[in-house]
Amino acid sequence: MAPDGITFAYHAHMPVVTTANLCKSFRVPQREPGLAAALRSVFRRKYTVTPAVVDVCFSIEPGEIVGFLGPNGAGKTTTLKMLTGLLHPTSGTASVLGHTPWKREPAYLRRISLVMGQRSQLNWDLPAMDSFLVQLAVYGVDDSQGRQTIDELAELLELKELLKKPVRNLSLGERMKCELCLSLLHRPEVLFLDEPTIGVDITMQTRIRQFIADYNRRYGATVILTSHYMADVTALCKRIIVINHGAILFDGPLAALVDRIAPFKLIAIDLERELPNGLPPHLGEVITAEARKLTLRVPKDAIAAATSRILAELPVLDLTVQDPPIEDVITSVFHVKK
Amino acid sequence: MKPLLRALAAFFRADMATMLQYRGESVLWAVWGIVYPAVAMAMWQAAANDPADGSRVGAFGRGGFAAYFLLSMIVGHLTTAWSAYEMGYFVRHGTYSTWLLQPLLPIWRSAAGNVAWKLFTTVILAPLWLFVALWARPHFDLDALHVVAGVASVLLAMAIAFVWDYIVALAAFWTTRTDAIGELWFGGMLLFGGRLAPVELLPGPLYYLSYALPHQWSLGFPTEVLIGHASPERITSGLLWQALWLVGGLALFRFGWRVSIKRYSAVGA
Repeated sequence: MAPDGITFAYHAHMPVVTTANLCKSFRVPQREPGLAAALRSVFRRKYTVTPAVVDVCFSIEPGEIVGFLGPNGAGKTTTLKMLTGLLHPTSGTASVLGHTPWKREPAYLRRISLVMGQRSQLNWDLPAMDSFLVQLAVYGVDDSQGRQTIDELAELLELKELLKKPVRNLSLGERMKCELCLSLLHRPEVLFLDEPTIGVDITMQTRIRQFIADYNRRYGATVILTSHYMADVTALCKRIIVINHGAILFDGPLAALVDRIAPFKLIAIDLERELPNGLPPHLGEVITAEARKLTLRVPKDAIAAATSRILAELPVLDLTVQDPPIEDVITSVFHVKK
Repeated sequence: MKPLLRALAAFFRADMATMLQYRGESVLWAVWGIVYPAVAMAMWQAAANDPADGSRVGAFGRGGFAAYFLLSMIVGHLTTAWSAYEMGYFVRHGTYSTWLLQPLLPIWRSAAGNVAWKLFTTVILAPLWLFVALWARPHFDLDALHVVAGVASVLLAMAIAFVWDYIVALAAFWTTRTDAIGELWFGGMLLFGGRLAPVELLPGPLYYLSYALPHQWSLGFPTEVLIGHASPERITSGLLWQALWLVGGLALFRFGWRVSIKRYSAVGA
């Protein structure tokens, strides 16, 4: 735990997280539908072994915020659960802050936190403050320092007025803010966030993102984030790891992924009038055409020339150059690697 | 040790606060716990009504049965444990995952909750126990040895019942429906623990089988001591048996925990 005002100094040149050939398979019972199949399964149960994480290797430096992206069932949460010591891997190794997570040493658990958007760590029946006080005791945080941390976090998250309400009476967004506060009371050096903004409205998503970025800046904490909301990832993560079917498909800067998968930009044009003969093909590839609105796809290195030609040759009212939506880029990764 | 005590105190306070929130439910569960011994008391007192048998069953007359079942209400309350019932729920709903993330074994949280519930409900049940005592006219055959040994035996029984119940609860890491296993465990308490009948009235093979199970040592034996039915030899051997069951239980829990935690991924997580 870091003292007040001091950032974590975990051997600045050593990765905080490393995994090597990390694998996790689940043995899942399977049977056909119907009573006869149910009866047969009493005597002979069939299992299949489902690989959830396959040979995952990566390392994360201190203070990084890394986004873990992938569709449902890709292996993101399973990886996070192994790194937090909840699951034992089938094979492979991992080290977080110099500890093997699944040994579950208290010294390790005191230095990390996992926030699961779909699981609550708060006592449902009591005001959040009661859960906070239990958390301070469980993590051995000095009482006066803990109360000071609660004040600071409550200020940052704007939740002072929520602390005395029973958790069951809080909205989803309010509860999520309390979950975040609870998870950070012991000032974890590594913060694992599993879909922290799931289900909350746009304003609250923005607030939570800002808070995570603040926490990372203020304490130098390492953050590993999974989310289905690309806005979370683009706002917070310079680096992303794309995972599907348990295997890593991409690991690097978000910008590099966009360059590699989508080396083009989109030009959106509003025209004064419809083009009777359609768009001349040398101006670009038409992605969408809707009366007087067009969207063209143009290679990045040809953007300047294409824009000049369009402005010269077409009756343009408005023109904007955009990056392709990040959702489309990520979806392309899954298709390319299938 | 101090950080652990601080955490236990925090759990205890939070559990007390939760029970105050749901005081009605807590009271109902507590009152439910005296139903079995009350019914058993009525049945056995009726059985001990025949003058042809000297109005006795074994060593028990009406007053003896009243004393036994009154004490089994109190001891049963103090030694009750319910992790085997609720563990499956906590695992399926992911609550247990949040506890596993903390730098403290989840069993401590359950232990604090267990003690909190007993203290809270004892305040409610004490007048009911007093009423039963006045109404059933129990006969005790006590001396100082029985009182001292009885108190020690109840404390050991509380620990044995809790630890062995938690060992059974670890089945939740292997199978999804632990409440059925919890029921079976409770059934064992009815028969071998002395909830339905004093253990000394069990037929031969069942009586000897009761030594091979922890139930007698969590309820029947301390009750027997506290009503003054146990000889000094029985007290000595019984306390040794209890110590053995407690040490064995702690060792088995330690081993079972290490094995089970590796299986945690199998269900829920």
